[in-house]
Amino acid sequence: MIGVESRTSTAPELATETETRLAGLWHVIVINDPVNLMSYVVMVLRKIFGFDDTKARKHMLEVHEDGRSIVWSGEREPAEAYANTLHQWHLSAVLERDETD
Amino acid sequence: MKRIEVRLSVSVVAPLLDVIREMANSLSENLAVPLQIDDLDEVMREAWVEDLQREQNADLDFLLGLFDEEFFRDGVIQLDEETADRVIRASAAVRLRLRSERLPDIDESMLESGDVAMNELPESRRNVFLCYIFLATLQELIIQHLEMGESKS
Repeated sequence: MIGVESRTSTAPELATETETRLAGLWHVIVINDPVNLMSYVVMVLRKIFGFDDTKARKHMLEVHEDGRSIVWSGEREPAEAYANTLHQWHLSAVLERDETD
Repeated sequence: MKRIEVRLSVSVVAPLLDVIREMANSLSENLAVPLQIDDLDEVMREAWVEDLQREQNADLDFLLGLFDEEFFRDGVIQLDEETADRVIRASAAVRLRLRSERLPDIDESMLESGDVAMNELPESRRNVFLCYIFLATLQELIIQHLEMGESKS
């Protein structure tokens, strides 16, 4: 009985903490690597994000020249899914929370 | 579904297969690109890594499976859109591994341009570098085919 009470009192706190930590706007950022071909990066960005050729090239060049490019922004859950797919294609990706608020 | 046929020189490719196999073995329990998302919970991280590893291994198996008896007879590999994706992904994984494990000391601009003096490389590394270039060429060829098919449709 005590154990049950203990669980019911801590679980919502943990859930709330996680929700707060993951709330807000998240950026999916592709990081430059010295190996993958420019044409490959363009193709992957088009496939994953549905970019047209011009937009995909713009992001690819940003990655190449600045070392990183924000390719998508939104809620945490879809951001994780995009990062996972980028990893399937062997592109380095990180998630960063938007701190501008 | 689009079909892609790539003709390759058997005599050029055959010596590179050992390099690809060696890298595939080295990747069998390691992701080509380590996961860089720090704040995933532990269960999610494990599930991600497991899935990514399984997919990576399936891609590498497919790539190696292309170079079978038929390839050695005809010098041709045949792909559709789905298997083309597998081959370009597997090629990316092997190239990333080659770069980090076998070619870490070669200048980035030289690798990008392919402008490496082969006769200055020790013999043991020539096939490694050729493999790196071969897989890039294979990726380029497949991507061009896919883009051509796209512009026709």
